[in-house]
Amino acid sequence: MTVDTFELRVESRDGNLGLLEVAGYINNEAGEAIAREARRLLDQGHHSLLLDLSNTRIINSIGISLLLEVLEQILEIKGTLAFCSLSPSIAKTFQIMGLSQYTKVFPDRSAGLAALSGQA
Amino acid sequence: MPEPQRVHLVLPRHPHAELDAGHAVETLGLEVGFSHDTLAEIRLAVVEACLNALEYGGGEVEIEVTACADGSPRLEVSVIDHGPGFDPTVVPRPQLRAKLRADRKRGWGLELMRRLMDEVEISSRPGRTQVRMVRRQRGG
Repeated sequence: MTVDTFELRVESRDGNLGLLEVAGYINNEAGEAIAREARRLLDQGHHSLLLDLSNTRIINSIGISLLLEVLEQILEIKGTLAFCSLSPSIAKTFQIMGLSQYTKVFPDRSAGLAALSGQA
Repeated sequence: MPEPQRVHLVLPRHPHAELDAGHAVETLGLEVGFSHDTLAEIRLAVVEACLNALEYGGGEVEIEVTACADGSPRLEVSVIDHGPGFDPTVVPRPQLRAKLRADRKRGWGLELMRRLMDEVEISSRPGRTQVRMVRRQRGG
């Protein structure tokens, strides 16, 4: 496995919060996989999703556009989309797009889980 | 004064080929003194230019990289395709609020290139489109 190989692990936390641990390059295929799992979690009744990107170094614009579909769906149910452990370049990418207006960003997973679990 | 280092490559037609260009730029950038964080930004800009060339261009996609180490490190990257060309002045700048309501949420590539690099010039005509990008290492 290289640092760019995509992997996705999904966990359900306390019925309201879904955790998606993403590793590798987020392109169209990876973005679709994330969006598919996110939709599944939302369909199960989760209202908050935390994407842990600690092992992701690059996300391209097609992958981002697929995350926007997830964000649109979460906003419709007044849920929360959150990210944690962003690399500086991914944080800058999100800042360029203006994502901070609509999402939450945490420095690490424990901070994200603590904040979002409190919303349940 | 050290001579500029140059790399020319033709993107292979395989999945994730755009990452090959990104890796080449990263390797050269490290040699001339760029930081990892700056190179990660350059890498994304190069990936975006390559994705556009692969999707909308035709024929071979070429990458030309020039790295200079004298004074402040400087990287110049050109991504060249041989497709039908386009008018960059009519490409709309994406707005997140509008994208969230739109069916088509793509269209961020050019904006990211322009915001991540110091200079982006696009020359395009039928048969040849060149995206030339420059980034300098800031802060020493």
